Amino acid sequence: MEFTRRELMAAAAAMELADGEVVVAGIGLPQVSTVLAVMTHAPNITQVMEIGVVDAKPIHPSVGIADPRSWLEATYYGSFVDVLGMILHRGFVDVGFLSGLEVDQYGNLNTTMIRTPKGDRHINGSGGGNDIASLAKRTIVIMPHEKRKISERVAFLTTPGFMEGGNTRKEAGLRGGGPSRVITDKAVMGFDEASKKMKVISIHPGVTREELVQNTGFPLIVPENVKTTAAPTREQLRWIREVIDSDGLYTGEKA
Amino acid sequence: MPNKRVSLSEAVSSISDGSHIALGGFAITRCPIAFVHELIRQKKRNLTVSQCIVGMETDLLVAAGCVSHLIYGGGSLDHFGLVEAINRAIARKTITIEEYSSLSICYKYLAGALGLPFMPIKSVMGSDIHRNLKREGADKLIVESTCPFSGEKLLFLKALNPDVTILHVNQCDEEGNAIIYGPKWDNPEAAKAGKRIILVTEEIVPKSRITGAAETVLVPGFRVQMVVHVPYGAYPTSVYKVYDYDAHHLEYYAEQNKDENKLKAYLDENVFGVKDYWEYIEKWGGIRKMQEIKADSHLGY
Repeated sequence: MEFTRRELMAAAAAMELADGEVVVAGIGLPQVSTVLAVMTHAPNITQVMEIGVVDAKPIHPSVGIADPRSWLEATYYGSFVDVLGMILHRGFVDVGFLSGLEVDQYGNLNTTMIRTPKGDRHINGSGGGNDIASLAKRTIVIMPHEKRKISERVAFLTTPGFMEGGNTRKEAGLRGGGPSRVITDKAVMGFDEASKKMKVISIHPGVTREELVQNTGFPLIVPENVKTTAAPTREQLRWIREVIDSDGLYTGEKA
Repeated sequence: MPNKRVSLSEAVSSISDGSHIALGGFAITRCPIAFVHELIRQKKRNLTVSQCIVGMETDLLVAAGCVSHLIYGGGSLDHFGLVEAINRAIARKTITIEEYSSLSICYKYLAGALGLPFMPIKSVMGSDIHRNLKREGADKLIVESTCPFSGEKLLFLKALNPDVTILHVNQCDEEGNAIIYGPKWDNPEAAKAGKRIILVTEEIVPKSRITGAAETVLVPGFRVQMVVHVPYGAYPTSVYKVYDYDAHHLEYYAEQNKDENKLKAYLDENVFGVKDYWEYIEKWGGIRKMQEIKADSHLGY
């Protein structure tokens, strides 16, 4: 069965989630992946949104977490302190999805600013991103695979990955485990256990090793016997296309 | 029961230049737009604004030159666009900023709400956000420290007590007992940390409505100083269970705020060029538009 790159990303991200886990997922691919996991292998996932919403069941696409479409039929409405404080800070979040303008070789993310010839340009800032990256047991980063977005060193470290690598994250005093996966439109990556440098876990079907290296802003570790990312199953594709993202907003050809 | 209802202009008159105000919107939802329009009309200056996620109302206030300092955790107009007036002001250094994460802003409010001088947190540490917040002496905002019991590393955040917290709420009685439907982001802690609280409400309800749902009341009414009744006062942002956001207006705004002159024209037309808030609502389609965006009672949008 044919599939799009983003359907593949959604399926790969879904497979990272286990039944019974507590997941913080924003709008877009993270939410599609989480709902896909719920519909297939992980029906008992709890979904938390930083704005103060737990286990919403949206039926219409939303423009962001401030859109009441993403709050539909939730089982709990609270405040930031209730959710990011007493769930995330308390240590109950297993997986946080993150994205940004840029991710570096240690999984640090920049969501604050971009450098331009005319000077630094401020963008969105952290929101709950820094809190999630600092405190979730593990995080999954979803990014487009472009050289300037997968860089050696982020221009601004908004949300910590493994910081300077090695033991530096732990030494900074952070409780959360840091990034476990970076999922792009070209590959699934993880981190070397000792150096905490990004390394390839699997390359998506149709992507060459050269293409991957050329589009990465630092010397990416590609193991010799690297696998090919598993194609989405027929069941996963049916859930994505018929139920979760039937308009193809996040996983379609043009998404 | 004391009647705290005042007009919009009276409530805004009570805020002096140089005040620290906390605003209760979140990107494109429950933003106190009517209140901000009036702040702009009354040409307030040198305001400090704090907010966990900034959105349209703060972008307008910065665009109009009312703000000199911003304490926040980030923000945008969701997928409609960015808070470009704020981003421009940061680049040009026409405002100064203290930039945190969402949770750290809320913990600063929480400390303020509890009457504690600071709150420890386990995020922000080690990031460039942390680095940028380092100040010395009386200006100190954060302290790297350890738990006196376990020795664990902690970051201490200085308490935040805004002079006035301004929230847009669903319902409120004349004493200031308010109900917010849906998620509440920074609102409960921002309100409780405020030295004064001003509530802008969609609807004034009788006390019996409050006593029948007292467990949902945001903050005991005695803490509230002023209640302002402004239906549609958050338009074009949404109020859960009352009206949806106006996508057309937000798309338009997200185009205008990219360009300083276009944004100035937007302010001239929508704030300075109207005699009151009702005329602004009329301009964008009046009753017909409000009916179009009216929330479905089950969906809430």
